Amino acid sequence: MLKGLFFIFLFLILGEFLKYIFNIPIAGNIIGMILIFSALKLKLIKLESVKPAADKLIQYMVLFFVPYGVGMMVYFDVIKAHWFPILTATVISTIVTLYVTALVQQKLERDA
Amino acid sequence: MHDFFELPIFGVFLTLLVFYIAQGIRTKIKSPLLNPVLVAITLIVLVLVVFDIDFSDYNKGGQFLSFFLGPSIVALGVLFFEKFKEVKSNLFPFLFAVLIGGVVSIVSVSLIAIFLNVPDLVVKSIVSKSVTTPIAIEITKITGGIPSITAGVVIAVGIFGNAFGPSILKVLGIISKTALGTALGTAAHGIGTARALEEGKLTGTYSGLAMCVNGLLTATVAPYFVVWILKIFV
Repeated sequence: MLKGLFFIFLFLILGEFLKYIFNIPIAGNIIGMILIFSALKLKLIKLESVKPAADKLIQYMVLFFVPYGVGMMVYFDVIKAHWFPILTATVISTIVTLYVTALVQQKLERDA
Repeated sequence: MHDFFELPIFGVFLTLLVFYIAQGIRTKIKSPLLNPVLVAITLIVLVLVVFDIDFSDYNKGGQFLSFFLGPSIVALGVLFFEKFKEVKSNLFPFLFAVLIGGVVSIVSVSLIAIFLNVPDLVVKSIVSKSVTTPIAIEITKITGGIPSITAGVVIAVGIFGNAFGPSILKVLGIISKTALGTALGTAAHGIGTARALEEGKLTGTYSGLAMCVNGLLTATVAPYFVVWILKIFV
């Protein structure tokens, strides 16, 4: 577990460092995610050594974004003023996205 | 009391307590509307409003929990590697579907929002609405929107996909279980993936992987796209 946490934080700080040095417009943690995937693929690290810690973090991920959700209360006025267009845009877009994604895959799978 | 609420332990403890209660409710009553995150956020907001506590005081502790979103995103890379092996045989249809779906999500939500006269700040906050919350928050920090609005919208989208996704797709003629998984993960991230797992292990795998790929895709494309589209249409 500790070894896994060490690797995860190592790739996180590497990601942040690369972002800082090269001024990359992508979040450091996302760069870290690409780096750890590459390290696993290139067999630089073993899946068994990072899996326990990664599974635990993913299991509790929902807990970690609760404070951001609570932060919505500060923007209550903005949301109240625009709730209808926000709702319309997200609902329509979500249905279209679901359908297009599923349709493309279903069609390609059949043709294959 | 203000000094007490300012202690980091207050925000941390309140969040843990309420989340524990919310998960307890979920095990008793199965309903997508009783999603633990949604229930936890609602209860915490109620507590803060009733006791007249500032969000900034609550967040002195809350930020210790949010900090772990960073390592959680890195952990998604590990999940991605694990699942990647399982879809290898079907890789091209899968990747192509996520790519098209991810772009459709970004384009459709921003165009509809602009058309309905939503302010730029809100458009920038909802462009990443289909990807997993921590990645969506990072995208909003880069586009210059309001991360908390993103968090709310993303969670709502997930709950919508979880509750209605499979039945909508069934009505529209989708029969492939793998396509259902890919669609749920692409459009409704982790909360949609929870539903995909209920539909079957393979459906869940496709969904989890689609969530990772679309997170990466949207993080790379959305910040540029939103600036560009706001320039053209506003």
